[in-house]
Amino acid sequence: MKSLKTVLATGVAVLALAGVAIAQEKPRVAFVPQLIGIPYFNSMEAGGQKAAEEFGVEFIYTGPVDANPIDQLQIVQNLVNQGVEAISISTIDASAIAPVVAEAKAKGLKLFTSDSDAPDSGRDVYVAQASDQGLGETLIDQLVSRIGEDAKIGFVSGDATSSNLNAWIKIIQDRVAEKYPNVTLLEPQFAGGSSDRAAQLASDLMTANPDLKGLIAVASSTCPGVGQAIETAGKIGEVLGTGYCSPNTARSYIESGAMGFTVLWDPAALGYLTVWAGKQLIDGKPFEASNTVPGLDQPIPYDAATGILLLGDPTVFTKDNVGNFDF
Amino acid sequence: MLAKLAQRIGGRELTLLAAVVAAAVVFASLSPVFLHPNNVYAIIRNSTELMLIGLGLTFVLAIGGIDVSVGMILGIAAIAIGNLLLAGVDPWLAALAGPLVGLALGAFSGTVIVLGRIPAIVATIGLLGVYRTTIFALLGGSWLSGLPSSLSEIFAARIAGVIPTSYIVIVVAYAAAFVVLRRTPFGLHLLAVGNAEERARLSGVAVRKVRIAAYMVSGALCGIAATFYIANYRNVEMTVGSTVALDAIAAVVLGGTSILGGKASLLGTALGVLLIRMLQNGFTIVGLPSLWQPVVTGVLLLLALTLERAAVAGLFRRLGGLVAARRTA
Amino acid sequence: MMAATTSTTAKLVLLLVLFAGILASFALYEPRFLQPSLASTVLQFASMLALVALGQTLIVLAGGAGIDLSVGGMVSLSAILTMMAMSAGVPEAVFPLVPVVIGALLGAVNGVLVTKIRILPLIATLGTLFVFGGLAMALTGGASLSGVPQWLVPFGRGNLGGVPWHVLVLVVPAYLAVAGMLTFTPWGRWFYAMGHNERAARLVGIDVDRIRFLAYVLSGALSGLAALVSLAWFGSGRPNIGQNLELESLAAVLLGGVAIFGGAGGVLGVLVAVLMIVTLKTGLQFINVSAVWQVGIVGALLLLVLLVDLIPIRRRS
Repeated sequence: MKSLKTVLATGVAVLALAGVAIAQEKPRVAFVPQLIGIPYFNSMEAGGQKAAEEFGVEFIYTGPVDANPIDQLQIVQNLVNQGVEAISISTIDASAIAPVVAEAKAKGLKLFTSDSDAPDSGRDVYVAQASDQGLGETLIDQLVSRIGEDAKIGFVSGDATSSNLNAWIKIIQDRVAEKYPNVTLLEPQFAGGSSDRAAQLASDLMTANPDLKGLIAVASSTCPGVGQAIETAGKIGEVLGTGYCSPNTARSYIESGAMGFTVLWDPAALGYLTVWAGKQLIDGKPFEASNTVPGLDQPIPYDAATGILLLGDPTVFTKDNVGNFDF
Repeated sequence: MLAKLAQRIGGRELTLLAAVVAAAVVFASLSPVFLHPNNVYAIIRNSTELMLIGLGLTFVLAIGGIDVSVGMILGIAAIAIGNLLLAGVDPWLAALAGPLVGLALGAFSGTVIVLGRIPAIVATIGLLGVYRTTIFALLGGSWLSGLPSSLSEIFAARIAGVIPTSYIVIVVAYAAAFVVLRRTPFGLHLLAVGNAEERARLSGVAVRKVRIAAYMVSGALCGIAATFYIANYRNVEMTVGSTVALDAIAAVVLGGTSILGGKASLLGTALGVLLIRMLQNGFTIVGLPSLWQPVVTGVLLLLALTLERAAVAGLFRRLGGLVAARRTA
Repeated sequence: MMAATTSTTAKLVLLLVLFAGILASFALYEPRFLQPSLASTVLQFASMLALVALGQTLIVLAGGAGIDLSVGGMVSLSAILTMMAMSAGVPEAVFPLVPVVIGALLGAVNGVLVTKIRILPLIATLGTLFVFGGLAMALTGGASLSGVPQWLVPFGRGNLGGVPWHVLVLVVPAYLAVAGMLTFTPWGRWFYAMGHNERAARLVGIDVDRIRFLAYVLSGALSGLAALVSLAWFGSGRPNIGQNLELESLAAVLLGGVAIFGGAGGVLGVLVAVLMIVTLKTGLQFINVSAVWQVGIVGALLLLVLLVDLIPIRRRS
């Protein structure tokens, strides 16, 4: 329905040539995801929209079709040109927004990251779902507690260029090296954005390693492929799937037992917090060490040294609680 | 008799067969699980869609055409099937929707190319964009996931627990394609158009109809592939089919079908698909990083064509002939 | 030959009308669209596509079913290999030359495959797209390589009177040089002649293979220049920086009025098409229309322009 509206909007632009400048009174907060058309970012959009109504700002959600850094940069550049007061980005790659940071600063616009960081870019703040450390460690600790410390585990990731996915893999690898000497981690495999390739890689990993006990779907786009492959191979009970998967994506696999649990946060809450942070930046209000955000239950900590605003601990979704969530 | 068969089959097919066997031997010696039935089934499952799409592309290449939008046709057909399943439609009816949607899209592509007189490569690049936007609009930003397994129970099953349904369909499709190409007027016309369009026109072939029909065959096969896609993966996301076209073109060309038209090697296409998928599988099995796989596909493609040009293919043909001759003797 | 020229001019006019229509629509819908900084943005983002499309133009013009699907792979791999060469100790002073040389060498691989081994260009460059693009990813494991000399970054991000430096220093001269070569030198006549009718060109003694080989080398070198722009712009070498450039550059070349079978068309049309595609993308983003529509709109425009092509053909026949 929404896309239909966009067509109509384009049609109006191209055909009727009836242009009226949109009155711009409310300050604008934009969020640029890594790519559009995936449920995860759609939830963030919904949360952002809710916050926009709550805090009286206009919310803009726009992103590239593929996780392509140039296309993402072009979108950010466009928002800067439009003079959008606060622009948040889930960066595909940490270096990718470097070219526009200076320009945004010069124009007095607030440029910040959300969901995926670009630490040394000079961004104003990073709105984090949970610390990368927490995400990586929760996942591997939970997995090991279910399949034992003597286990072989494989990764199926998305794009090899995604810096947030690579960060989680790295943290898991470090944690294993430090805490679980008997766990063997296989080399990560990259499926790009395609879920059939993810299924193919997952199935090949299981065949290649008959003693495989765990499979981690690092990108949300690889979750259905990993779950499906475990079901198809008839390995439920032998191989435990997990990953950073939303409850809706993973529900049928968690119920079938192909996935034991998944780790994620509420992306809608992250979108909500992102827009709130944008509004704070526009108003020039500093972040406190602990912030009360209207509409969110828990207080939101801010670490001034790293410039990170933290949504909270990740949620672990299992058979018992997966029915309570809808995102 | 065998010598005659070898001659019929041709050098490229024998070379490919040798390559498939060689690759299997190498992988099997590196990893004991490579020839394990589970893995053989995995290779078969992973090559199903490409087998069908490659077959359709063979028809398109035979008339001297090309289609870079095949993956998107698969995607749109898969969305149709998925939505029907979600609406609770009988799985057989839903499965039928795949080829029907594919056929319609193939007819549309063919019409744009033939009646619009646009070179196929250009037209299908344009259509690729249009279809891709269509997929996005149809999905509306969410995925089709957790689809009912009713379709999987039919199309991802094994008959008597041994033979995958998909392979029955693939064998039937290839056999039918063989009969159509070699034994029917349509097949003769198809190759005639690919060989020399003007001459075919002068000798009374309805060139336009034949060319559009080739795209319709390809579209329908993409639709059948979509049925298996849904049966195997039970979800459709936005990037569906984005890597299919290049893999399929590589496999078909590897199989000896020329993009200039007039020639179609069905066995070659099947072997080309098998080789590409087997290498991808074998790489993961022996523990090589997946990022190297496109490099191998590319090198293989170039190597095959270079060897052929260097007349090594001729040598293989002679060798094949020798082997066959000795066997008969 | 005359017919080809008229149709080239007609196509250029059509393209300019279309471009003007797009600009007018955006401006009417959103008057702020006409701000100068937006033109600057369009140029910034058009630069890489413009360079790659120029190489693609030469290859398509030269006929023989010429096409280069590997341009995106060459851009990515040139960028990566350049950064690797730097860490291997190549002096900083020659940095700008390195990607161009690497690109030219990669282009030469295509040239050999097409003119010596005689693999059809579509297939040869499909193979090298897999190889080049795959190598860029495999060699880096997907990670960006940093270490672009700091003095180069202003070249990638700065501008003179709103025109980005790389457009002034690389794109404009490259287009002028190629336009000059095609119009005023025998080489240009050879390009058109062999694209128009290869057998006739061979008969009059044109060294078709050498010129075609040169076209692939030039396409590689121009991809290398695009890689240089990306390095200076992002300050790092990215293994997927050339993603999607193959189809985008082809769309630009064909939209720009170059005949897919060679022998007709010019660089001006291609430049206009590049600017039009980037403007369309920028404009749709500016009015916050989702990026997915842009893919379809460019596809539909491509079909539309070629369908309009039918009219003069019918009139002539």
